[in-house]
Amino acid sequence: MDPVVRIKNYSYAYPDTTKFAIRNINLDIEPGQCHCVSGPTGSGKTTLGLAIKGLLPPGNEEGRITGVCATDDGGTDIGIVLQNPEIQILASSIGAEIAFGLENLCVDPATMPTKVREALDAVGLDRPMEYETASLSMGQKYRLILASHLVMNPRLLILDEPAGQMDPDGLKKLLKVIQALKNTGMSFLLFEHNPEFLTEIIDAYWHLDSEGYFRAGCLKMSDYDPSMSGSPGRGKPGATDRKVVSARKLTVSGADGSPIFSDLFLKVAKGQRVTVYGPNGAGKTTLLRCLAGFVQASAGDVMIFGKKPIPGNLRGRVGCLFQNPQQQLFENTVYDEVAFPLKRFGKKGTAMASKVDETLNMCEIGDLAGFSPHKLSYGQKHLVALASVLAADPELLLLDDPFAGLDQSRCELILNLLSRLNQDKDLTVIWACHHPQMFSGWADLEFFMERGKIVAHSS
Amino acid sequence: MRIRLRQLFGFLRRFKDWPGTEHRRAGSIAVGAKLLGLMALSFLAFGSRTTTGLLWLTVINLALLLVFRYGFIFLRREIKVFLWQTAIIVSLYMLRFGWIDGFKQGAMISWQLSLAYMPGVIFIKTTPQPRIVETFSAVAPYRAAFVMATCFKFIPLILTEIRNIYEGQVFRGAKILRRDLLNPCNWPDLVFCLALPVIIRSMNLAGEITLAAKARNFGFKKKRTCWPGI
Repeated sequence: MDPVVRIKNYSYAYPDTTKFAIRNINLDIEPGQCHCVSGPTGSGKTTLGLAIKGLLPPGNEEGRITGVCATDDGGTDIGIVLQNPEIQILASSIGAEIAFGLENLCVDPATMPTKVREALDAVGLDRPMEYETASLSMGQKYRLILASHLVMNPRLLILDEPAGQMDPDGLKKLLKVIQALKNTGMSFLLFEHNPEFLTEIIDAYWHLDSEGYFRAGCLKMSDYDPSMSGSPGRGKPGATDRKVVSARKLTVSGADGSPIFSDLFLKVAKGQRVTVYGPNGAGKTTLLRCLAGFVQASAGDVMIFGKKPIPGNLRGRVGCLFQNPQQQLFENTVYDEVAFPLKRFGKKGTAMASKVDETLNMCEIGDLAGFSPHKLSYGQKHLVALASVLAADPELLLLDDPFAGLDQSRCELILNLLSRLNQDKDLTVIWACHHPQMFSGWADLEFFMERGKIVAHSS
Repeated sequence: MRIRLRQLFGFLRRFKDWPGTEHRRAGSIAVGAKLLGLMALSFLAFGSRTTTGLLWLTVINLALLLVFRYGFIFLRREIKVFLWQTAIIVSLYMLRFGWIDGFKQGAMISWQLSLAYMPGVIFIKTTPQPRIVETFSAVAPYRAAFVMATCFKFIPLILTEIRNIYEGQVFRGAKILRRDLLNPCNWPDLVFCLALPVIIRSMNLAGEITLAAKARNFGFKKKRTCWPGI
């Protein structure tokens, strides 16, 4: 059987660079197969996907990608679903979104509704075509994007980090859809650095290393041992005496008056590690924003350090990292970025310099001090953002899934770092994320949120 | 009279969600006419110098919200912006022209600005995106039409990104809270800690949206068809 795609000795370097981003790739994908390429953040996985789809800017290319069936409009019958569904949704209604590809292929408008309905059925999205895309959950948005590629009848679908944005329930539904499509002969290429969530559909594993070299891989389960991160913070004498966060019957409502979460009780003592799990849209981000004082409670009480949260009064005591923390970088060098909060909190001269050096070394980015933060890799930017928050020695750290999409080794580095700070400096951490497996056993207190309620907790 | 009014409202509502596949050209003309009408209202707001004129325009804008069945409650964000804008403009005018004159002039200017802005909001919120693209495509290259229509769609996403950056920077020590900004010495923080990252993020976002559109073969053909709507 002819492969859908044959990649032979393919290497690529971006324009104006001499270093190859990916090197000597050899890969055949047969109809109905699902291949998975794993590798650390920044190893060139997305670049490979864009190369197969033909979306890379003209650069230094070697080798060949063949078997790709070119369509008469200059496109290819390959679909590529990129990482963030939010950015890929271009229309305001489901029907218009799925039809976007058909519009580009100049399909007769009269035939569009039937094709759109078929694509919606294929991904199990049972919503009317005029349904607003903004009202979908993250998992539903991902399946919508999938449908918007399926409607163009691709032979190969490339999915870039499908597990990165989705909660376990969304992922389960996606796996079912992929399995059904595989049975119809459609091929898949997944780029995923945590493939353990997707094992049941994968036929072959590959690995791209940090230098862009490609080789046959295998499923590598996470070997992270939470017990290596020290004993939980509550084990320390006196740790539970001082309340850092307390919330009683806390309710926050959205703009339309309906509750985002309601009647929530929460008590966090100094030095505790807390994780808040829950599917996308459960209210985790709003909870953290409420604790930080940026969202007002519509009922109930919340106290941080024994007082009502007011952002201006919490500066210096609370550190906050939201999703995509690299967005907050603005200085010219990594050193200045980390020094910024220290200057603002009144540190000067050698005291400031030594604190910056200490923080950079603690985050293992001491060698990047003179570099521009904007030119660093995705993973390095995350570490700089974290260092710039930790430099101020916050007592409470609020994390809203800031490290989603980072590879296992960087996640482990961050977990170990936070564990050390928790042990040595009594740092209290409240971490919201949507994959309970990621940090299982790390926290002293685990909450599970669903539809605006805490449905379970363990300690 | 009542029947005529009902007919007129029915005709205007057709502009809201034009469904027809057989009347597509007429649909584009209707959206185009709606756009021109609302633009004229916007220009009139700049031209009106009297309270009576502005009152009339306010009544017309409110009537249009009613006609297009767009709930006033969905304009909370716009109302908030209007109140902030009024507070800032009136304060500055009062500083420059004194309490009474400053208040009068500032309030008029703020009212005018809001009435100039309102028709645009009504158009965006009551016209389906495919219809906007289709209408713009009739007078501009479809790439330009797509950019115009897509820009509006991503405004909420950009606002969320701005909020995230803002809140993160506050805890890093940036003096950008409302009370901090009363002191002009803190204004550079607003530029460097918020505006600069937002500009960088917006440029990245534009690149990512382009890539997402190209991934679905946008721009490969010289023409494109349009989703008929349901």
